[in-house]
Amino acid sequence: MTDSALAFAALALPLAAALLVVPMPTPGAADLLNRVASALTAAIALVLAAIALAAAPETAARGGWYVLDPAGGVFLALVAVVGLASAWVSPAYLRHAGRGWFSARGSHSWYYAAFYLFWSALLALPLTDNLALAWLLLEATTAASALLVAFGGSRNALEAGWKYVVLTTLGLAVALFGIVVLFVAADGAASGLDRLDWGVLARGAAAMPPQATLAAFVLIVAGLACKIGWAPVHNWLPDAHSEAPPPVSAMLSAALLPTVLLIAWRTELALEPALGDAARSLLIGFGLLSLAIAVPFLWRPLPWKRLLAYSSLEHMGILALGIGFGTPLAIAGVVLHVAGHGIAKALGFYVAIPLLRRYPAAAGRPARGVARDSPQTAAAMSVSLATLAGLPPSPIFVSEVMILLGGMDAGLTAVSAIAAVLLALGFLGLAHALLSGLLGEGGRPQRPPSRTARPVARLAGAAAVALLALSAIAYALPGSDLVEALTRSGG
Amino acid sequence: MSAAAIAVLIALGFGVMAVRRRSLATLLVAAQALLLGVAALSSAGGHRAGFLAAGLILLVRAFALPLLLALTRRRTPEPGLVAPATTVVSRTLVATVVALLAVAATPALGLADPAAEHGAVALLGLGIAIVAMRRPALLQVLGILVAENGIYLLAISVPGGLPIVIELGVLFDLVLVVTVAAAFTQKIHGEVGTGDTDLLRGLRD
Repeated sequence: MTDSALAFAALALPLAAALLVVPMPTPGAADLLNRVASALTAAIALVLAAIALAAAPETAARGGWYVLDPAGGVFLALVAVVGLASAWVSPAYLRHAGRGWFSARGSHSWYYAAFYLFWSALLALPLTDNLALAWLLLEATTAASALLVAFGGSRNALEAGWKYVVLTTLGLAVALFGIVVLFVAADGAASGLDRLDWGVLARGAAAMPPQATLAAFVLIVAGLACKIGWAPVHNWLPDAHSEAPPPVSAMLSAALLPTVLLIAWRTELALEPALGDAARSLLIGFGLLSLAIAVPFLWRPLPWKRLLAYSSLEHMGILALGIGFGTPLAIAGVVLHVAGHGIAKALGFYVAIPLLRRYPAAAGRPARGVARDSPQTAAAMSVSLATLAGLPPSPIFVSEVMILLGGMDAGLTAVSAIAAVLLALGFLGLAHALLSGLLGEGGRPQRPPSRTARPVARLAGAAAVALLALSAIAYALPGSDLVEALTRSGG
Repeated sequence: MSAAAIAVLIALGFGVMAVRRRSLATLLVAAQALLLGVAALSSAGGHRAGFLAAGLILLVRAFALPLLLALTRRRTPEPGLVAPATTVVSRTLVATVVALLAVAATPALGLADPAAEHGAVALLGLGIAIVAMRRPALLQVLGILVAENGIYLLAISVPGGLPIVIELGVLFDLVLVVTVAAAFTQKIHGEVGTGDTDLLRGLRD
């Protein structure tokens, strides 16, 4: 198959699954279609990711709308893996979901239809070679994922879904305004839609009017910040992540947020010749503010999924810092952090399936004493939260060190020092939450052991191996061709 | 687009901030879209594809979307008008300050028409202010549409226009999001008994 056929198939397959699953006669049939479609989709996406990772930016394969470059490869692989895992744990969630937004009879089909539409748009995002097309795909993710956020149908789920759709749509409206301004500023670079291709923008950036280009960049990044969940425009994030079905929370946190961040990163790299340090300063500002806002919440006794949501705010902040620093070491840290956070955070949300099944009260308050009654669930919680906290030798510990050292390389020692203090405080907060969740007094299971604990424990085993493998290859990343390519182009 | 027409667009935006009836606010947004659509049609001139795209956008933004919202309003009857959190004077004052600040803070954007630039920025700011200050879900959707109308004003003022694929793509996404938002409005009304989003305050840390 050619590159273009593979790129087309990676998007068409989940779209076809979304259409085919609606008339499925039984929930079991919908589950079966889900397993087959997700395996095929992920396989094709991973082949594309491998092609993209092997390419040098100058020789990256390009089609009418896509580019297969190293930056896209990293994020495409992430979206493929998280999507596959979320699809495979979804039946365990749906088995006990009951009636929500949709009737119990049709809920499996509508859940999968929205899920595959969301996944299809997410898979297209790292591939797209054009800022305007990326915006269209981002808006499409909002429509599909908002329905998934409110899938539970409770008052809280509706509130979370409503906040999500309104705030992210407004944010994307601001970004679109910036894109129109940029289209005007890039006049002469190319005609028509091509004017907003990443490569065309990068080649023409030096000739763009600085003031209008800066205004466009600020509007675009401020708008995307709403969707990434950077502080201070993160209000929807804790609510949507805590109320969405766990497999969807995993998609939102581990795949959507980093992928939107990729669009901000590509925009920053393309416009850097026109903006200089101003662009990086904006990203560093968002990064520090996100860390500062997130850390106090990591010290509070929050329900499991809400704790993970604030951890997402923290990690998106770290990634913003890494991209803002922009040195090869910081970029190596960003690549490692995206992968480590994706695996650990997705696992954390999957843990919520057996956890909330056995301890329904944990939806509204912190879980306690899980190790005593549910050792498999406790093991999975430990792998996830210890990694997210940055406990050595997790890849997130290594990536955070790389990003902080990268900041010093860039001459931003004070920023790195402040970030290091905030990260240390965040580590202590998460470590305390993990210990009290595993060993604390007060929590008693309200239901018998759940069958869903075993598959999640198996996933935890696979995740632990993958995380250790990431830590092992981390030392080879600085100076590698991949990081060199990402530092030069970001795609 | 003439400065007078842009002033009318902004006045209609202020109207959405001020009025209490959802039906009237929907009409004001439809009037905004109609005015913008006519301007887009006249600027498309002899360009056949551009003319057809502008016509389609006019039909959807000025008629189809307001009709969808009118149907949503009929399916979500309110026992009485939702009491606004602030008086009409304070809402108008805040809207004025937001619009002026947005215009003052935005540098020249490079269009040949500064009035269109200022009008577009003001409408974007107004739309955000409407979402922040109005409680009924349907009025918040209308706030999004006011902001989108600001972007459309900017888009039709771009020399040579935006590529048709972007204009139609944005239109498709707008229809998708407004449809989802309308579905949410009905669900919220079914759950809470009113479209007042102030009653959705269960999620706090």
